[in-house]
Amino acid sequence: MNLESKNKTRPHSRRQWLTSTAAGLQTAALTHLFSRDIYGLETPSPRRAFDLKPQPTHHEPKAKSIIHLFMNGGPSQMDLFDPKPELDKRHGQEYFSELASEVENPTAAGALMKCPYKFAQHGESGQWVSDALPHTAEIVDELALIKSMHTTNLTHELALFKIHGGQEMPGLPSIGSWVSYGLGTENQNLPAYVVLDDPLGLPVNQTQSWQSGFLPPMYQGTRFRSTGDPVLNLKREFEQPDQVTSLERELIAGLDKIHKDSRPGQLRLDARMASYELAARMQLEATDALDLSKETQATLDMYGIGNDTTDSYGRRCLYARRLVERGVRFVQLYINFQIWDNHTGITSGCKAACNKTDLPIAGLIRDLKQRGLLDSTLVVWGGEFGRLPIAQLPANKDTANAGRDHNKNAMITWMAGGGVKAGVSIGATDELGFAAVEDRISVADWHATIMHQLGLNYEHLYFERNGLKDRLTGVEEAHLISSILK
Amino acid sequence: MSFGFYKWRQCFLGWVVSVMLVSLMVTSVTANQQDLTTDALKILKSKCGNCHSADNQKAELDLSSVEAILQGGESGAIVAKNYEESLLWEMISNELMPPEEEPQLTAEERGLLKRWLEQSSFSATPPKAISQWDVLPILQLRCVICHGKTVAEAGLDLRSHASILKGGKSGPAIVAGRPAESLLLRRIHAGEMPPKRRIVEASIKVITETEVQLLEKWIAAGAPNDAAVIDAPGNGPDPLVTDEERNFWAFQTPKKSSLPEVKNRTWSQNPIDQLILEGIERAGLTPAPAASKAVLLRRVYFDLLGIPPTSAQLQEFLDDESPAAYERLIERVLASPYYGERWGGLWLDLAGYSDSEGIQESDPVRPSNYLYRDYVIRSFNSDKPYSRFIKEQLAGDDLADYTDPAHISSEVMDNLIATGFLRQSSDGTFSNITGFVPDRNRYIGSSIEVYTSAILGLTLKCAKCHSHKFDPIPQRDYYRLLAVFKGALDENAWMSPLQDRGVTALKPMRLLSVVETAERESIEAHNTRITQAVAELTRQRSELEVATITQLQEAEFKKLPQEIREDVRTALNAAKEKRTKVQVYLVEKFEKQIRFDVGRAEDVDAEFKKQRAQQTAAIEAKKKERRAITPIRALWDRGDPSPTYILTRGDYQTPGRRVGPGVPSVLTDGESAFVTKRPFENSPSTGRRLALAEWTTDKSHPLTARVMVNRIWKSHFQHGIVKTLDNFGVNGTKPTHPELLDWLAVEFMESGWSIKHIHRLILTSATYRQSSLITEQHELRDPENKWLSRMPMRRMDAEMLRDSLISLAGVRRDHQFGPADPVASRADGLVTSSPINNTWRRSVYVLHRRTQMPTLLTSFDRPRMSPNCVERTESTVAPQALHLMNNQQVKIWATQFADQIMSIHPDDPEAQVRLVYTQALSRQPGEDELRLTLETMHRMAEILKAESSESDVNRSVIRNVCHALLNSAAFIYVD
Repeated sequence: MNLESKNKTRPHSRRQWLTSTAAGLQTAALTHLFSRDIYGLETPSPRRAFDLKPQPTHHEPKAKSIIHLFMNGGPSQMDLFDPKPELDKRHGQEYFSELASEVENPTAAGALMKCPYKFAQHGESGQWVSDALPHTAEIVDELALIKSMHTTNLTHELALFKIHGGQEMPGLPSIGSWVSYGLGTENQNLPAYVVLDDPLGLPVNQTQSWQSGFLPPMYQGTRFRSTGDPVLNLKREFEQPDQVTSLERELIAGLDKIHKDSRPGQLRLDARMASYELAARMQLEATDALDLSKETQATLDMYGIGNDTTDSYGRRCLYARRLVERGVRFVQLYINFQIWDNHTGITSGCKAACNKTDLPIAGLIRDLKQRGLLDSTLVVWGGEFGRLPIAQLPANKDTANAGRDHNKNAMITWMAGGGVKAGVSIGATDELGFAAVEDRISVADWHATIMHQLGLNYEHLYFERNGLKDRLTGVEEAHLISSILK
Repeated sequence: MSFGFYKWRQCFLGWVVSVMLVSLMVTSVTANQQDLTTDALKILKSKCGNCHSADNQKAELDLSSVEAILQGGESGAIVAKNYEESLLWEMISNELMPPEEEPQLTAEERGLLKRWLEQSSFSATPPKAISQWDVLPILQLRCVICHGKTVAEAGLDLRSHASILKGGKSGPAIVAGRPAESLLLRRIHAGEMPPKRRIVEASIKVITETEVQLLEKWIAAGAPNDAAVIDAPGNGPDPLVTDEERNFWAFQTPKKSSLPEVKNRTWSQNPIDQLILEGIERAGLTPAPAASKAVLLRRVYFDLLGIPPTSAQLQEFLDDESPAAYERLIERVLASPYYGERWGGLWLDLAGYSDSEGIQESDPVRPSNYLYRDYVIRSFNSDKPYSRFIKEQLAGDDLADYTDPAHISSEVMDNLIATGFLRQSSDGTFSNITGFVPDRNRYIGSSIEVYTSAILGLTLKCAKCHSHKFDPIPQRDYYRLLAVFKGALDENAWMSPLQDRGVTALKPMRLLSVVETAERESIEAHNTRITQAVAELTRQRSELEVATITQLQEAEFKKLPQEIREDVRTALNAAKEKRTKVQVYLVEKFEKQIRFDVGRAEDVDAEFKKQRAQQTAAIEAKKKERRAITPIRALWDRGDPSPTYILTRGDYQTPGRRVGPGVPSVLTDGESAFVTKRPFENSPSTGRRLALAEWTTDKSHPLTARVMVNRIWKSHFQHGIVKTLDNFGVNGTKPTHPELLDWLAVEFMESGWSIKHIHRLILTSATYRQSSLITEQHELRDPENKWLSRMPMRRMDAEMLRDSLISLAGVRRDHQFGPADPVASRADGLVTSSPINNTWRRSVYVLHRRTQMPTLLTSFDRPRMSPNCVERTESTVAPQALHLMNNQQVKIWATQFADQIMSIHPDDPEAQVRLVYTQALSRQPGEDELRLTLETMHRMAEILKAESSESDVNRSVIRNVCHALLNSAAFIYVD
């Protein structure tokens, strides 16, 4: 494991600037040093064999597991959690030319558009939530709202690569892979990183969102399906008596033992045998993890299971709890395609997305809390970017059916549990909700904070390749979102 | 941060002292302060001067004088009015500088520096006078897409001072000294340019307020036109890289040294062994015994071909008892066409080969990319000299004239296809929204990374933002290398990567419709025949139409009263404007009844309709037989590239000074110019990549040969002599056998860069022929096998595994080359390669689509390319076991394997088991293996016979045995 610790404390301000210069400054000194030994410094060889055993954390973790509720498409901040009275006031005014470079579809851009929902303050914390999310409003005292997040690209694919993999390019490990690589997992009979995608279909970018990139493929997200076998190849795909299968297993184990015994010292052969034993145990445990038959009706109701609108997402939320209970490190929930991508019909489309997810998510938070799991589970909600304060008009220019285009300058996310303060918020957007202006939180900050809660330091978790230490955040500087942490 | 601020800082940073007027503004200069300054400079000289002096300017920083300090370094200013905000103080106060290994500043020294910085209160030096170099990059970013090289709308080209003054159809773009009268600014101020509703179409952003102000300022100042100062190699000694740094072993040309003395004088087969044995003996070890013939055979087959030997091949080798049997085997195997499929595959990892663009959800497929894959396989099979192989891939377009369609040879085709090496990275610029300058820069960066990591074995990408942390590679050198590629990859004159998406006048297609002359002629002859055939078919259809219509009209004429019949005919035939009043009347009255067109004829005549439809279909079918030229995914230099600037902190919005093309200074003498020449007459090319290719493959090059022989070594022995295959720099691992590495590198070049020669040497060495058994002495004295005191045991890679499965099942189709075989996704997400007539080709021919990677291959560590893969990782996890145990397709392959065994030995279990072992493992089972297998077979039969007939029982049992063997460690690990 490449876990390095640095004794030196680095100044937080302008660190990126510093290190870039520091880099140059050190070069000569190091070269000078090494030139005394013309064959350079002997560094330990990079590790090339990997497993999922639990790894030591960098510091005391606040959370053991994480549930990432990924909101494909980019939920609209000013229609859900970030009321903008000024926007209501200026509804209908032209504004496009002020933000032309920030619009994906300039030809469809309309005037400023107010939020079609009503906002009210909720709970003891008095946080604002629109009436599109009535159930979330009831648990808002558990949430830490991040109102000032922003990202770097306004295209779905690239913004997804960024939010999942840290940089605007494909082929990089997702945060779930990094966490699995950094921490391993508590329960070897289940994957470390489970993805619960929508039975209706894959999200944009498909399986790339949970890939392991240049990390070994073992760290990629494993899809658990709610119908059929939960894991690919988990069950035999052909007919034969169970006794024959177990005899075949015994034969493999027996032959492998003979093979291993005549090759002493080849440790990979032990690992290989262990992987077959593990596979057998996973068959039982993965099936059990998705078996809801022992859940009470009250629990099922809490998640909206049995109700057409909420059943599908509710099930995945309940699976998430069951997986976290069983020691899975990273659970990530997806919805098919991108329901939050409300280019048209902000009134109907955004509400439909809320209806599908609002109750199940509130249920998940309540259930985790009542079982005492919320403290050790970090729940994270959010999409890949936010939306613009101006309208996006459909081809017929009908303002009644207007939506909102992508916005990389402001997006809304929240965290709950896992050592995060309850009922707080950080940051603010400008008066129209176009850009985060106060306490701006970058995607790197967000990643660093999630990793921090799990006991990982974003700078110290790296993988060596092409002669460089690659990190989730690349070379970006990150700050923890300290004000929302306990 | 605003663009203007960066611009200002960039001016401030300009390092070319000759064009800068540095003025020092100190609030109050006292004698005391002068002393303080003298003392401060002394400290800086003694503690920092090693790396930051006038002669050695690491990070472009010189701390030897106040003037130099005020200029700052590559990251900007290092002093500030308030000392606490100065970078210099932050580095010192946080003990980040001097570096840990160097003598540190004392508390006293630190105190003095603090006082000095505090009292001096350095303030900003005013920026140098504005010139066209400050505004040209802005115009490149915002305007040149429509007013430049590719397109010059309104006749306007905004790329140079002269062309701006010349202007376009509406007159000069600017009036020097008069911003208000300058058309350029008027259009910008009116909000017309760049046209805001159309910016995404052009993949540009709106011009910013600060950029407009800068333009205004420049015009107001009279649009000054400075001479270009370009930082290119050959301008004098290099202050950024020292000769000491050039002395690092990997930056020196490799040389063969004399072979060492060894105690064991009989073991060595060639110099490799002597160099290895020396280490083994030094570690107090003796080499492992030689492996058996059967073990060697399996090892050689997987190493060179990636597939298991057949039992006939096993027998042939075992039966050959001559002393040269093994050498003959190596020759046979090296001559096999499967060799290129395995070794070409290794190269494709380095190139980052992918059959799709990625980036966007649609992940469009690259239809002609397989040509590059085939080129690589053929090159390995023919043992193309590595130097030639590299030259073609780096600069194939510059090697021979490809502009005359009448003279395109297969060699010219290969040259062009080879440049696909630089076109494998993800490229989302087929779409406007993922085609902005940063997107283009990312692609260019990836292509360069493929070159540096695969061929140079050096890390350069960090120098995009700042000088390299460990290697003596200043940021400048990254941008010089970028300039080398700019004739082909110019972010200011972009081309769209696909034929059928995103190609517009603004972004022409980056594919070359070049084809071998003979092929072109054959295509053209074919198409001429098609055109003729289509003409003939069309003529026949017209005949039918005319005949039918005439017939139908005549029938209608006949219905008219005899007396007016001819008058009506004359009236209808008369030209419209010449008809008499009577004729007009007749036409009005009868035309509808008489006149037929094809449509009306079809309505009334079903037989005609049917016949005509058949003929139309035949014409369309014929037209489809036309053959088109498949455009090549090549990279070619179009000449006239836009200027290259060092981007401060890697940000495209903060261009710094201009650089010319060049290679990393540390790999040169630091003084010679980078010489380019026009590659061939009429070539549009800058010739820069040709110069790069020639430099890369020069025999004095310190890295090219070493890096490649190290890779070959790694593929045979698990680890490279330098373990960090892509990093031979200061931070890479040091070679375990430096003399061997150099010996191999020189031998490689002396053999004419023959890869097969190196294979031959390695495979016939005693080192390679050792057994992989680990003994106690190995465990004790060489636990990591650093000294190669035995052969490492290796696991099949993903392709070897799949190719072995289809080989044993007898369903491998040995058709080489051509378009990739399709893949399919099952509803549950399993991705498989689709069979053709129930057969499969080797994995190298399966579509490498980024969003659809076959599950079996990824489970066994086939990587995703980002941008390439220089070394695969190896994992051992449960999903692999689940796939091999439970997957239907694996079971079918095992069944097909078993059925072949059954056809040879229908009912002798022992003979069956022996044959399974021979085919899958190239050996006989051990006694305990045989006993265990036979016992298990017996027990399985007992269970199965309750429900099945005897022959079915036998069949099921042997199928399970085969399935078990394919799941066994003995199968997937190669001794």
